[in-house]
Amino acid sequence: MTHAVPPPRLPVRDRAAAPDPAGGGGVSPMLTRLAAERATGVLEREHGTLHLADGHVVHAESPFAPGLADLLLAHGTLTPDAWRQAVERADEERGAGRLLVEAGLVARGALEICHLGAVYDAGYFALAPSSTPGRFHYGTGHLLGAVRPVTVAELERETLRRRALLHRLWPQPLVDTAPLLRTAPPGAPGPATAPAARQRAVLALVDGVRTAPDIARALGRRAFPTLTDVRRLAAAGLVAAKPPPAAPDPPPGIALPPVTDPDITLLKRLRDALEAL
Amino acid sequence: MPGIDECLLEAMRLPGARGAALVDWTSGLALGTVGEFPGGDHEAAAAEAAEIARLAAEQRAFAPVDDAVAADPPLEDLIISNRDSYHLLRFVPTSFDSSVFLHVCLGRSDGNLALARIRLGEMAGRLVLG
Repeated sequence: MTHAVPPPRLPVRDRAAAPDPAGGGGVSPMLTRLAAERATGVLEREHGTLHLADGHVVHAESPFAPGLADLLLAHGTLTPDAWRQAVERADEERGAGRLLVEAGLVARGALEICHLGAVYDAGYFALAPSSTPGRFHYGTGHLLGAVRPVTVAELERETLRRRALLHRLWPQPLVDTAPLLRTAPPGAPGPATAPAARQRAVLALVDGVRTAPDIARALGRRAFPTLTDVRRLAAAGLVAAKPPPAAPDPPPGIALPPVTDPDITLLKRLRDALEAL
Repeated sequence: MPGIDECLLEAMRLPGARGAALVDWTSGLALGTVGEFPGGDHEAAAAEAAEIARLAAEQRAFAPVDDAVAADPPLEDLIISNRDSYHLLRFVPTSFDSSVFLHVCLGRSDGNLALARIRLGEMAGRLVLG
C-alpha cells in the first residue's frame, strides 16, 4: 500500500515571528528604528505617510483612506469653515484638534475615536508592502497636534492583525484597490444571503470604475470597514475585482500555440498572491 | 470634557466593575482598556466581544420594528450573563462613521446591572457629545 507523499511545505516568511526588542513588529525595520530613537518627523512610504512625534505615531495619511477631516465633514460633524479656521490657527503649542475641542465644536471623545479610526486605517495602507524604500524627514509634529498617539508597535501589530482578518474573509487583496464589478451570485439571492444594510450601500456604488477606497470616500465612511464590506461581498459572490485590461494582441505573423494548460492559471494566481504579500 | 480614558475610568467606578474597554467592532481593536477581563488578555476579550457585537448589530431580527430612519447602529446594548459576571456592551452612536462600543465586565455578586445600563448609556453620550 502506497501513501501519497504530501508535498513539502513551502517556506513562509513570518514577519510577526521575531518581534524586535525595541517594540516593532518587523513590518518596517526603519519605523522600528525611528521609534527606538524617539524621532519626530514624517515617514513617507509608497502607499501612505506616518507622522511621528517623540517616536509615537501621532497621525497617518493615505490616498487610499479617507482622513480625519473627510470623516468629520462628510456627515456634518464639523463645518468646513470650522475645520479650516482650526487648521489656520493651529501652532506647535495648540494643535488643530485641541482648538476644536476647546471651542466646543467637537467632543474630545468623538475626536479621539475618529482620529484613531483614521490613523489605523491609513496606517494599514502606509505599512503595506511597497516596492520603493521609505523616506524620513526629521521635523516637527503634525499640525493636528497629539490627539491620542499610538506606539509603532501597536500600529504594526494592528496592521498585521487586519491583514489576517481580511484574508480570512476573502483571500484576495486585489479587491482592496482594484476597480470593482458586480457579479451574479450562483443562484438567486435569498434572505439568507442578503447583505447587511451597510454592505448594500457599498454594493450600490459598485460600477466597474470605483475602487473600495473610492466607495468609502463617496459614502463618507472609514476605509477599513469598507474593505471588510467589500471582502464579504466578494466572498458572497456579489463583487469581484475588475480584471486588468487585456494585453495587446500579438503582432500578426507570429503564431502562438493555444494555451490550455491549467498550470498557467495556477501560476498566475501564485504570482498575484506573491505580489500581494 | 471626557476623553476615552476618563470615560473608562468613570465606568470602572460602577459597583462591581472589573474591566472596561472601548472597542471597534469592525476590526476588534480595543481603543482603550482599564482593569481586568476574564482570561487576563484584554486584546482577545476585545476581539471576541467585537465579533458578537457585529453579528448582533447586523441581524434584522434585533433591529427596531419602526426603523423608519435606519439608525447606525440599530442596537443600544447587549447583555451577557454567566454564573459569576455580567458583560454589558453599549453601542456608541456617532455623527461620523465609526463602529465602537463600551464593554464593561461586572462581578455578579456586587454588580448592579440596571444601574450600570443607565450609567453606561449616559457615559456613551458624554463621550461623543461632550
